[in-house]
Amino acid sequence: MTTPMLRAEGDHADAIRPRSGQPATPLPPLIQIAGLDKRFSSRSGEIVTALSNVNLEIADHEFISVVGPSGCGKTTLLRILAGLEQASTGTVTSGGEAITEPRADAGVVFQQALLLPWITVLDNIMLPAQLKKDTSAATIKRAESLLEFMGLKDFSRKYPFELSGGMQQRVSICRALMRNPKILLMDEPFGALDAMTRESMNMELMRVWSEERKTVIFITHSIPEAVLLGDRVVVMSPRPGRISEIVDVDIARPRNLQTMGTPRFGELCDRIRTIFGASVALL
Amino acid sequence: MNAATKFGDLHRLQAILLAILVLAAWQGACRLFDISPLILPAPSAIAIRLYGLVASGEIWPHLWATAVEIVCGFVFGVLAGLVIGAVISLIPVVERLVYPYLVALQTLPKVAIAPLFIIWFGYGLTSKVVITALVCFFPILVSVVAGFHSTDRDQLDMMKAFGATKWQTLVRLRVPSALVVIFAGLEIAAVLAVIGAIVGEFVGAQVGLGYLIVALNFSLDVPGVFAVLIVLSTIGLAMHGAMRFAARRYIFWIRRSEAPVLV
Repeated sequence: MTTPMLRAEGDHADAIRPRSGQPATPLPPLIQIAGLDKRFSSRSGEIVTALSNVNLEIADHEFISVVGPSGCGKTTLLRILAGLEQASTGTVTSGGEAITEPRADAGVVFQQALLLPWITVLDNIMLPAQLKKDTSAATIKRAESLLEFMGLKDFSRKYPFELSGGMQQRVSICRALMRNPKILLMDEPFGALDAMTRESMNMELMRVWSEERKTVIFITHSIPEAVLLGDRVVVMSPRPGRISEIVDVDIARPRNLQTMGTPRFGELCDRIRTIFGASVALL
Repeated sequence: MNAATKFGDLHRLQAILLAILVLAAWQGACRLFDISPLILPAPSAIAIRLYGLVASGEIWPHLWATAVEIVCGFVFGVLAGLVIGAVISLIPVVERLVYPYLVALQTLPKVAIAPLFIIWFGYGLTSKVVITALVCFFPILVSVVAGFHSTDRDQLDMMKAFGATKWQTLVRLRVPSALVVIFAGLEIAAVLAVIGAIVGEFVGAQVGLGYLIVALNFSLDVPGVFAVLIVLSTIGLAMHGAMRFAARRYIFWIRRSEAPVLV
């Protein structure tokens, strides 16, 4: 995992990704979530169940979209995967080890870019490495090549407030990729961007994913975005937050914005909307 | 950017124009209604008196004494505020135990306790420095505590997610975040420092601009009192300007429009 931007294993990785419920690989899944519950006690003392009996297995290199209305616990799920929250019951493992604290094998991209405003773009990207006292020439080179890859080469000496929202979020993606993690956790990363920027960021993310071959867990409340990006779409419903269904996206890659005009894309979106409709009707 | 500068120049010009108008009206009114200089001296009389104080050299020892009190008091007050504020913010037990008492202390009017400081520290420089430091201490203390509390929760999560230790989070996130609020406190303290020194001198002193005001007032030299007031407000503006300058330099990422305090 030391070579930056692995380009070689392109098609090969496609082959090992599981399809339609029958795993094509004997390897154990990278991330295993079993019987996960998460309860919070609110200020008035009552117990709120944010997640209830969540079971999910995620394979290496898989792109998982998680979609659901607000309050369905999707952000909580991501925070548990990031090691920022603990499960109340159940197990969550990554590479066979329980996730109890933030781990070096996962990079997080938040809803807001959350860049430190007092340091330059380059220093922001270097932050995860600097926190681990790693400032070797190779590390700086990696930061620079990430910037170039994301089209931010000319902005490395700028400060975050000199950048547009979309550029800031791109910096934040670079930062998450900095230590070359196996897993990229993204919590509605494009939710705060305008529609046009959002579409171009979706394309950008697919390019990153196909080049760097990360396992991505992508939280969103946009059904088309979830279908466009994901190998599988985890559909969640609220009160208590749980998985209603997992939808396989059997649309060939590479996908692009034209993909969104195809009939199959429309069908999948409709299907997810129907699942939402059903869960709303149950309430 | 250029348009903004032009607007800034225009606004400054308008402000200066307004000042000239007010002064002219003041001067005119003094002449027209024949107002006694013992009640309200004309601007021209104040200017002449100010020139007299400076040219005769009479003002210098007083100006020097007050300036030393202000600067020393400000420095000590700020240092104490920073250190105690940091201790309170970083050790929750201390905050719970000590902070309420410090707030209670703050409710004491400094003017009322100034005579005590004269008794404890004498008529000289020390008592004024202590009073000034005390006056500057609270805005800094409060801004440090508020500053450390102002750290963005999402940013804290971000640091945690990338594996930052407590110390790294403090140095790389919490201190720089707090600086924004601390600089607002510094701007306030800079102006209060002048008040602190003058209060100390009013209560008991043998030299200083506050002492000079009392002396001039006693001899009914009202233009002289106004002249000293101008000097005092110049010192205040200079202190405030210095803080503004430092803020622009050290918290450059905050644009002026988002500044926490608009003085």
